[in-house]
Amino acid sequence: MHEQETKRRDVLGLAALWSFVSAIGVALAGVARLPKPAVLPGPLRVFKLGDPAQFAVGSVARIDEGNFFLFRGERGFHAISSVCTHLGCIVAHTEDEGFSCPCHGSRFTADGAVIAGPAPSALPWLELALAPDGQLQVNAESHVPKGAYFQV
Amino acid sequence: MPPTKEFLENLKKTPERLRESALRVGKLPETDRERSQSTFHNLFLHVQSVRTHRNSLRFAYTFGLGLILTASFVVLTITGILVMVYYKPSTDLAYQSVKDIHFVVPAGRFIRNIHRWAAHVMVVAVFLHMARVFYTGSYKKPREFNWLVGLALLVLTLALSFTGYLLPWDQLAFWAVTIGANIASSPREVTEALGITRWFDIGAFQKQLLLGANHVGQEALIRFYVLHVAVLPLLTAILMGVHFWRVRKDGGLSRDVTAEPPPALIRGREVQVFPPTKTYGLMAVVRGRTPVVGRAPEGSVPSWPHLLWAELAVFAFTIALTLALGYWFDAPLKEMANPAIPENPAKAPWYFLGLQELVSYSAFMGGVAIPMIVLIGLGLIPYLDRDPRGVGKWFGGPEGRRIFWVSLVVGLISVVALLAFTVQFGWLRNWFPSIAQLAIIALNPGTVIVAIYVAWSLWTLHRTGSIRMSAIALFTCFLAGFIVLTAMGSVFRGPNWQFYWWPSQWPVH
Amino acid sequence: MKLSPDPSRIFKWATLAFSAISLAFLVAAAIRENIAADWRDHQLAYRTILESKANDAGRAAARTFPIEIRQVSVPALGAVDRCVTCHAGIDDPRMADQANPHKTHPKRLLEIHRVEKFGCTICHQGQGAALNFDEAKAENFYWDYPLLPASLTEATCNSCHDPRALPDGSAPKLAWGLRLFAEKGCGGCHKLGGKGGSLGPALDNVGLKTKHEFVRAHLKGSQTTWNWHERHFRDPGGLVPGSLMPAPALTPAETEALTVYMLSLRRGEIHSDYLAPDKIEEKYARLHPPPADGEALYQRFCSACHDTGMHARWDRKFARFVPAIRNRAYIETEDDECLAENIREGRPGTRMPGWGQKAGGLSEGEVDALVAYLRRSAPPMELPPAPQRGSIARGGELFNRQCAGCHGVDGKGPIAPALANPVFQRAATDAFIAQTIRAGRDRTPMPAFGRAGFGDGEIADVLAYVRQWAPAGGRSTQ
Repeated sequence: MHEQETKRRDVLGLAALWSFVSAIGVALAGVARLPKPAVLPGPLRVFKLGDPAQFAVGSVARIDEGNFFLFRGERGFHAISSVCTHLGCIVAHTEDEGFSCPCHGSRFTADGAVIAGPAPSALPWLELALAPDGQLQVNAESHVPKGAYFQV
Repeated sequence: MPPTKEFLENLKKTPERLRESALRVGKLPETDRERSQSTFHNLFLHVQSVRTHRNSLRFAYTFGLGLILTASFVVLTITGILVMVYYKPSTDLAYQSVKDIHFVVPAGRFIRNIHRWAAHVMVVAVFLHMARVFYTGSYKKPREFNWLVGLALLVLTLALSFTGYLLPWDQLAFWAVTIGANIASSPREVTEALGITRWFDIGAFQKQLLLGANHVGQEALIRFYVLHVAVLPLLTAILMGVHFWRVRKDGGLSRDVTAEPPPALIRGREVQVFPPTKTYGLMAVVRGRTPVVGRAPEGSVPSWPHLLWAELAVFAFTIALTLALGYWFDAPLKEMANPAIPENPAKAPWYFLGLQELVSYSAFMGGVAIPMIVLIGLGLIPYLDRDPRGVGKWFGGPEGRRIFWVSLVVGLISVVALLAFTVQFGWLRNWFPSIAQLAIIALNPGTVIVAIYVAWSLWTLHRTGSIRMSAIALFTCFLAGFIVLTAMGSVFRGPNWQFYWWPSQWPVH
Repeated sequence: MKLSPDPSRIFKWATLAFSAISLAFLVAAAIRENIAADWRDHQLAYRTILESKANDAGRAAARTFPIEIRQVSVPALGAVDRCVTCHAGIDDPRMADQANPHKTHPKRLLEIHRVEKFGCTICHQGQGAALNFDEAKAENFYWDYPLLPASLTEATCNSCHDPRALPDGSAPKLAWGLRLFAEKGCGGCHKLGGKGGSLGPALDNVGLKTKHEFVRAHLKGSQTTWNWHERHFRDPGGLVPGSLMPAPALTPAETEALTVYMLSLRRGEIHSDYLAPDKIEEKYARLHPPPADGEALYQRFCSACHDTGMHARWDRKFARFVPAIRNRAYIETEDDECLAENIREGRPGTRMPGWGQKAGGLSEGEVDALVAYLRRSAPPMELPPAPQRGSIARGGELFNRQCAGCHGVDGKGPIAPALANPVFQRAATDAFIAQTIRAGRDRTPMPAFGRAGFGDGEIADVLAYVRQWAPAGGRSTQ
């Protein structure tokens, strides 16, 4: 008699306890999603740069709002991020020496490869495309392998 | 043992020892003694007594209201911190950030809804809790001071709610702050009428204290934000701690000590008899002298697990309730604040609408003086009514029950009649357009109803000769007045605060 | 006291039940937000369309089209527009043949208004933050500027363009509304940019007003500002009781054009990067106005009350005659200075406001242009010299018998021009008054008393009586 009572109470108690715990668990799982933004604030990181013809062959354009350099060479367009892969400072570009970072001394070749300093990886090349409306478009969020020139 | 082996052995046992050291007892309790220990050895549980009287677990006695309050405060704290992650307290950004919480923040809409509805639950529960404590006479010695702490918590709850609903910076928010700040400056009505504003401008001082400026703007928003997320929650949490501690130190929840069976020998063993102000004898429990599990002579049961189950049930109830409300109903969000044109009618949340109705007669009387009178009156109750009889019984017995019903009818009829008269015939200013403001402040429907209620209470005192009965009469009358005025403000007032039978009759404006 | 075996039994059941309810709501909420949202369905459908439209190279990219909330953030305009979450193909010309919401923006407008630069709500209004159509449209939600119907969207072009400079057909209703506003004489009562009468409210920011700022007690149908404007143009008095505004004779198309123009009136500062060159020219022209055109000015500011000005007009709302100010008989008796004075000062105390720089906002040049326009009706004539003022007592008797019926015993003129008015007294010469009594006014109710038995004596007496209302100074002392 006493044993049975204890047993039944346990089943009910455990069920109640676990249902409560699982409800809290699900709630916490939902809550844990909150801090990660569903949509990133700020303007789109896709930049339309206008008619590709306006960039002369052999020219370099520094696009400040997108933090990248746009090059047009013999083989076509390419865009290289100007955000240092070490800790996010903005690198400078010179025609002869490639890129150099003012913060911790990382240095990169003209096509982005690391040659000195603490930077762990090369400066990424960004994805270029022709927008449906005919403008040259750079997606600063999307990387392409080095040497992927974009032909118009 | 070689040191390396000892190291590895210790490493292996670390999880087990971690658990032991964390739990102190190290396993679920099985005996009464262990149950007691699990309670008073735990920071979170030791706020409770080791044994709980069965009366405290009787649902029809407490309705779990205090626990609902605690649970909703916990829910509010958690959801509040979550919405703080995205909320931006700036007049330019606040509205947009609330819209973002509604539209794109993961689970943000649901969490904000829960936050809003839990606040409503808390306000309802705080009024009901106060009524329960009053009608069961639970404010009497030694619980007088805890009644005052409870009153402070009532005020804090309303202040939290007020400071909270103006953070979205929508139309409701903007005009609520404006009205609130001008209620704070309403003592000017009196100082102006007396001609002493030049020397004693308490109204302007209070307004500037609230707004940080003479108009509602960024300074005001930041002040209310700080109050809402830091000052008031902290004060509430501290006072809640004091409130719980006093509940325990004052002998647990009140109960009818006369109804308990006299202590006796049980199974031939002498039983510890506790004074009625204590729920348990700690040492008795520790020494294992309580004779039968769950059958202590004063009708108490071990808090572990029985009280904990009750608490868990109420927490689960509160969470389910707020989730359901938050799922079905979106928290209101009006148009963005527009200083050019107020909403018409600009209504506060329901629990302030009784006050708003009073304010529509006189800002100072309705917004400052009458609430102060009511608060002071409530605070004095335990010091004026010191009759120890009837504690722990609803209305203190049949006579109180009768007084309650009669007073409820008297309170309802008088306030309804007065409101009907005011709607039908107007008030002093309609009859004597040039009447002095001081006369309106002194004599308006708000003060008249207070006077009627006080008169009724005094008459009850005279008739029954019992302070307790006259307190019941007064409290019931004010409860009736609060309910009717709130209904008046919520349902029967439309654009330009005109009387309408139902919101569907409101003209478009 | 008999104790039940387990006092916690009820609480365990309660915990179980309430936890189950909580779980149900949590799961339902998760489904509602993460699976059932409308925009997910739209994007999935869009992905399928994208795949079918893409060429071989683009197909892989189309397949990985991410299902996510998209937005255009335009800090300069204070806009975060999430319309592109559902209208994902809005700037993709390949989607021209699709149905909404996948359709390309019509008229290829986004090629010159790139969606990344402009967003959506700067032109269309509505709640850009929303992720479902009802709340984006926001007509029945708490939102000040609901989505403009497609037929009225032109209104917002005015924020950055000068409607007159836009190529033909790009904002026809807006340009038409602007013309109608001038032609229908709206400026007679409404100020715009500081110029206009003062009988009606100024219209400078009327396009930014929310519906709460309009009297909507009698507004039937949708509670939007554009519905208000359209109905108000049809029947001003029916919407705003006691309104003095006459119902302008408008076709439904004209009503719509004027509504578009009303909605376009907003002077909110837009970042100068967004202003079209013609808008800047328009602003410049406002500061450096071109030579005034008297006829256009008359049309805009005078015609609403004076109509063509050739006849005295009985105005039902004012309950009086509005003088015929281009009538040859009047113009030839007045000199230019008199006309200019009347325009500048108006008739204080009557419905005729002053139009000078400080009142109606007309510059001296514009007043002169108006005078020149009025002068086209007739050159000033050589007035016969005024008689010596006669007896006030006899004049009073005559005035009360013959003139007071229209001009009022007190000279304040219930239905005819107020003679006791200080501006009239200052501007009118004795010769002018005597001539008017003698010859009357053609095509107005004012008869020629010279032909009705008034000799010079009577005229002199009435003149004296009328002059007793003269304030000190002015021509009346002649």
